[in-house]
Amino acid sequence: MQGRPKIDAAAIRAAFLEHGFVTTGEVATTLYLADALGKPVLLEGPPGVGKTEIGKLWARFHEGELIRLQCYEGLDEAKALYEWAYGKQMLYVQLLREKMAELLGDVPDLATAVRRLGGQADAFFSREFLLARPLLRAILAQGPVVLLVDEVDRADEEFEAFLLEVLSDYQVSIPELGTIRATARPRVILTSNDSRDLSDALRRRCLYLYVDYPSFEEELAIVESRVPGLSRTLAERVVRFAQSLRKAELRKQPGIAEVIDWALALVTLGADGLAPETLRQTLGALVKNREDLERVLADLPRPRA
Amino acid sequence: MIAGLQRFLGELRREGICVSPAEWIEALQAAELVGLENRALFRTALSATLVKRATQRQAFDDAFERFFAAPRLHGREGRGRARDETGARPGPGRGERPGLRPKTPPREPERKQAPLGKPALEQALEAVRGGAVVRHGRLRRIVLARPGERRQQRSPGAIERTPLRDLTRKHATGPDDAALVRAVRREIERLRLGAARRTRRAPTGRPYLRRVFRDSLRTQGVPFTLPLLRRRTDTPRVVLLIDVSWSTARAAGLFLALAGEFLRFGRQTRALLFVDRTADVTPSVAAWLAARTRAPFAALLGGVRGLNLAAPSDYGRAFHHLLRSAARPRGRRTVLVVLGDGRTNRFEPLEWAFAELARDCGAVVWLVPEAAALWGTGDSALERYLPHVDAAVEVRDLSGLARGVREILRRVG
Repeated sequence: MQGRPKIDAAAIRAAFLEHGFVTTGEVATTLYLADALGKPVLLEGPPGVGKTEIGKLWARFHEGELIRLQCYEGLDEAKALYEWAYGKQMLYVQLLREKMAELLGDVPDLATAVRRLGGQADAFFSREFLLARPLLRAILAQGPVVLLVDEVDRADEEFEAFLLEVLSDYQVSIPELGTIRATARPRVILTSNDSRDLSDALRRRCLYLYVDYPSFEEELAIVESRVPGLSRTLAERVVRFAQSLRKAELRKQPGIAEVIDWALALVTLGADGLAPETLRQTLGALVKNREDLERVLADLPRPRA
Repeated sequence: MIAGLQRFLGELRREGICVSPAEWIEALQAAELVGLENRALFRTALSATLVKRATQRQAFDDAFERFFAAPRLHGREGRGRARDETGARPGPGRGERPGLRPKTPPREPERKQAPLGKPALEQALEAVRGGAVVRHGRLRRIVLARPGERRQQRSPGAIERTPLRDLTRKHATGPDDAALVRAVRREIERLRLGAARRTRRAPTGRPYLRRVFRDSLRTQGVPFTLPLLRRRTDTPRVVLLIDVSWSTARAAGLFLALAGEFLRFGRQTRALLFVDRTADVTPSVAAWLAARTRAPFAALLGGVRGLNLAAPSDYGRAFHHLLRSAARPRGRRTVLVVLGDGRTNRFEPLEWAFAELARDCGAVVWLVPEAAALWGTGDSALERYLPHVDAAVEVRDLSGLARGVREILRRVG
């Protein structure tokens, strides 16, 4: 992205298109508003519609670092925010043993030794021994940074509550160091696959956008821009087939990424149509569930004997 | 914009979307950022800030479509009620009791999206600005405020410099009312004196010298007949129907003054007030005018029987009430003047009732105390009523009122 474009919805859309990402006006406008209002964005939608990609491109648009926090069940503050480098602390203690012996050489009893070490122990709980995790890294960052909290619906509700403090004030409290505030407010994008209902409190702090599967025209434009060798006719068939699969009640509906993979597979094989045999060979790139695959293959016409 | 969005907030709440004050402020900020020019951008800005769940999106879209939809111009020609597909007229006795408020806000059919600020009515207004003749049902004339006129008013009075739009936000005060009455009287007096006396041909009277030559051309002067003329004797009747609901309360004061001045000049004038039902206040206004020290308008309104000032305005119900009442205006020489913004709080507009009223009158003039850009937006049913009106006038200040009076006098003669 040469030069910093003027930030408005059209510029965002154009910049995304430069990277082959066809986006809707809604996405671009929401990102623009998030930037202007200083609010996090919550992107919700089915898997594979490009929510994470939006976060990545948003970081590229701002020529900033992308800090990604992948959420999962059991994610806690230590893994999301910070932890003390215990091993490093122990190593330093070993290395400084002689120095400590000098300090404590003339100490008559244990109580005096503890009092004397008390003043020195803070050195082991300084930023030197702090392992900053994604949230803290985003807060400490000096330059432009995009914090992508991916699949927040996978995290526990306790972690969601913890996120509220970070998203409200962009500050974290570390007992040994005090409260750390962000010098430059990070841009935050949260994504959710809607597998769990997020709390109202978290939703209220964010601008909300539901990213659905694209329309036929939009998806066709995406496929054509990402798979250059694909003919127009085949691209239309590919998209129409993928869209019809989404209407069928599959266990896992094909996302845009899968459609692109499938189209790439067809180009690699030099396919010029969607013959049943070609479908059998390549459908694994589109349908990622065994039961779904069997259902789709069962509906295909049998090859003539 | 804030007031408009506030009404939209109420619409969302009716749809079950709860909006916190913080979200409301964000929505305002977002709307300000994207502006009103692009409908899609504006919708996205509001949805990003006000919608928090995918399940709310449909309700939001419905509310947005309903609230910010482009008004439809009904291509209904003629003055009678239109017939439906079965050939029957819509109205009472066909499964729905007229004038009753719907239990839920009426759902309107899908409307074709149009850019904000460029609805169909707005296009008609633009045509008027461009000098085109309006053909929209009965409507032939839309009179708008001239750009920059308000700033260039010659009158030094503070009241006259203040747009009516702003006056509607305040409660009436005694000195304001007095100033308004004086200003209105000046306007009407000026127009009355300026208007030519109406005369007509008659078998007896004084010679009609201006027609002698033209009449003689037809017959080459043989036989010579001297055309005679006399002043018109039939008195036109003006029925002023004034919305005195909260939204037009201040403008209603001005309109009442107008009614009073019509009464003072001996016109056959009746003044009817309405919020959700009509009330004849002709004697009250006459007495109020005759009083040596006039009470404020608010006091006058408070004493009217059958007028519930606290009710939400319901034009459909009021028109229907008038249609069934003894005060129903009738007659070829009757000019019905409606003074109101047409905002009917999403109650059924019952335009057929208004069409019937209009059909029985010689002319209908609607004075709207609202910017023309807002006509037909939100809960305004003006676009439903305007096809049955001869002229619509934007009356936001005294100069607008003067234009309105001119339109009335054109039809009164």
